[in-house]
Amino acid sequence: MNFDFAFAMRIVPLVLEGIGNTILVAILSFIGATVLGFCWEIVRRSHWMLRPIAQFIIDAIRSTPALVQIYFLFFVLPYYGIVLPAMFVGIFGLSFYYSGYISEVFKAGIDAVPAGQGEAAESLGLSWADTVILVIAPQMLRNIAAPLGAYSIGILKSTPILAVIAVPEMLGSALDVASETYRYAEPMIVAGLLFLLLALIAAACVAALERRLGLVSQSH
Amino acid sequence: MVAMEEEMIVELVKKSISSPQLDGLKVPKAVQIANVSKWFGSFQVLRNVSVDVAVGERVVVCGPSGSGKSTLIRCINQLEKHQQGRIVVNGAELTPGMKGLAAVRRDVGMVFQQFNLFPHLTVLENCTLALVRARKLKRGEAEQVAMQNLERVRIVEQAGKYPRQLSGGQQQRVAIARALCMKPRIMLFDEPTSALDPEMVKEVLDVMTGLANEGMTMICVTHEMGFAREVADRVVFMDGGEIIEQATPSRFFSHPEHDRTKKFLSQILH
Repeated sequence: MNFDFAFAMRIVPLVLEGIGNTILVAILSFIGATVLGFCWEIVRRSHWMLRPIAQFIIDAIRSTPALVQIYFLFFVLPYYGIVLPAMFVGIFGLSFYYSGYISEVFKAGIDAVPAGQGEAAESLGLSWADTVILVIAPQMLRNIAAPLGAYSIGILKSTPILAVIAVPEMLGSALDVASETYRYAEPMIVAGLLFLLLALIAAACVAALERRLGLVSQSH
Repeated sequence: MVAMEEEMIVELVKKSISSPQLDGLKVPKAVQIANVSKWFGSFQVLRNVSVDVAVGERVVVCGPSGSGKSTLIRCINQLEKHQQGRIVVNGAELTPGMKGLAAVRRDVGMVFQQFNLFPHLTVLENCTLALVRARKLKRGEAEQVAMQNLERVRIVEQAGKYPRQLSGGQQQRVAIARALCMKPRIMLFDEPTSALDPEMVKEVLDVMTGLANEGMTMICVTHEMGFAREVADRVVFMDGGEIIEQATPSRFFSHPEHDRTKKFLSQILH
């Protein structure tokens, strides 16, 4: 089968139809995963009785395939009367799956702030809240910016999973073209290149943000 | 009879107004440590330690590593919690989960071996943070206080820099200034020169000596025996979580009583 360049160019607009959803799902899932991941980590650091529960949830999330979790939300929950729209399942599913990983980013980011920082703040008589918000958090943010940026791109690249529950995103659009024309090479290559382009843009944004935060020049 | 009744009334009044403060008035003690014990797991780091520090007194605590000296001074601002015994700081007894701990800490400055400056803040911001957030000063006032104290440790020209741009000795002087900004009544030093390059030890010790000459109550864990000789009113020697011996510097260095003290001194004074 020869690659038909003219055909490829013709289907670009069709594949692009899904790009809005891809970006929307990626951004909302990233926000959801970050918020949820932060919550898991807070719970893990809170009461000793809650700690093993949070740890179990985090381990369970990370030890099951994203596809299984999404199938569960979409195909199993309706048996129990819970019917969720595909778009919601997609965003929530990716948020949930990645929150397990992002909680580990927060864990490492907080652990990497030396204990002496909190001690110095406490010994100055700062309140617990001021210690966390003004001393620990800014240093943690520097530690997590890079891995969090990497996960944002990971989430973007995971959005095609949602094709299996018919969320109209970019891979779904490409598959529609393929099944109508019986040509797979062009739609897959076009979709692949568009993902590459999005990922490169996202990576550039992450790098710009890191520079803005002074992470490159101020690393110590 | 009347006198006895009066005495009883005085006793009752003392008890009703939290007595440590009254004790504090009678004998001006900055720190009272009585029968304090502490364990890390099953390992006992402090064994029934009792020591008082008077207002204006300069005490040097020394001893081999693992002797509990750092743990002891960290108990004074409750970075470590003691499990037995009493600690009274500036008239307030330190108890588990006490309400006024932050207030007690504001009056007790602490300088750490690793400086522990906040790396994301400038020298000036390091000094003003607690003034603004804990002492509730206006930013302008806080900066004024900060500059005065940076001047005091002779590093005012570095106010706009970040800690990583300074040498170790400069960082430690900033850390001292940061603690002094809070106008503490007691200063704790936890091996303040141990992490410094040799040529920077003096500049930090000079600042500490200046502070001692101003009458600051100081408790220093240090191996700088020259400093102990010159500045301390009393040297406390610890080993195995106990206070083995305490004496004036001249007596401590010339006539140590215990074998463990002698052995320690022979190892560090070469």
